[in-house]
Amino acid sequence: MWLPLLGILIGVILGMVLPVKVPVAYSSYMSIAVLAALDSVFGGVRSYLEDKFEADVFISGFFGNAFLAAGLAYIGDRLDVPIYLAAIFVFGSRLFQNFALIRRHILNMLRRKSAVISDDNEK
Amino acid sequence: MKKKLGGQLAVLTVSLILGLALAAQFKNVQNVGGSVSLQRAQELTSEIQKLNQDIAKQETIIAELERALREYENAAQNDGDIYETMLKELERARILAGLTELEGAGIIVTVNVIPVTGWDGESTIIRSVYHEDLLLLVNELNAAGAEAIAINNERIISTTEIRNAGDYININTNRHTAPFEIKAIGNPDTLEASLKLLGGVADMLGEQLEIKIRRADRIRLPKYNGYFQYRYATPVQ
Repeated sequence: MWLPLLGILIGVILGMVLPVKVPVAYSSYMSIAVLAALDSVFGGVRSYLEDKFEADVFISGFFGNAFLAAGLAYIGDRLDVPIYLAAIFVFGSRLFQNFALIRRHILNMLRRKSAVISDDNEK
Repeated sequence: MKKKLGGQLAVLTVSLILGLALAAQFKNVQNVGGSVSLQRAQELTSEIQKLNQDIAKQETIIAELERALREYENAAQNDGDIYETMLKELERARILAGLTELEGAGIIVTVNVIPVTGWDGESTIIRSVYHEDLLLLVNELNAAGAEAIAINNERIISTTEIRNAGDYININTNRHTAPFEIKAIGNPDTLEASLKLLGGVADMLGEQLEIKIRRADRIRLPKYNGYFQYRYATPVQ
């Protein structure tokens, strides 16, 4: 559960320390890719909580979505069609949906736990 | 259990990559200054590209000129005579192009509007000076063998325009208004006579404008201050 958070934290620290750089020209595509990746990770956490997690689906989704989103944004730029808006819309709304589901799962878990504790106390 | 471990490893790797990407993007945004809209950035990018092309073009021009200069210098070293003649040739070319101040005898023509008092006591003018008037005068002076002409200290060269632009007359892209002072270097007699022909330009314009023609032994003409740029024309070998 806490693995993604840990990974992101380490990744950010590493990224800040190491001279990882994306050319400014590709910054806009990178932002879309990051959004897609964020969505994938949230989706992964959700499926993990639902006990439906599959590593291959997760990884393919992560890279596939990121590249597809960045690629579409690029093609959109070439064609002067703001496709990146579609990517932001879809991934953004899915992000919130995933987060809502994760919240519900965690709240359910907490409730069950407190119920068990109170059961213990009654005994 | 093994599947679960693999899954956890995958999550860790992927989130690590995500973290790296986040950091990279964050640094980018930090560097650029953040809230620059994508469109603005693209506009500026294309502008930079255009300027870079311009710079490249200018640099090739500079390189060409430097090469030419070196050739001349080499020629000068090889042979002092060639250098001398070339210098003379260059000076001649500069005079022809209007890039040197010139001095000599000639005439000075002033063109001004005539103020009149209307029936209501308001001061007005018969008509203003149009660009055609100046063109007529310049044309006539050239026909009479003027060697150099300037209007209001704007040297008339091969590409000079004399053109109405609103209330002004553009000469060498600068705005001018009446009174106009046309200085011409040449034979003063011929120049004056050409304008004062019976029914000539001075007669014609003199009906509605104030035309004064004055001879002078020493007139000083300014040089042309613009720059030449040939983008389309190339000399035929």
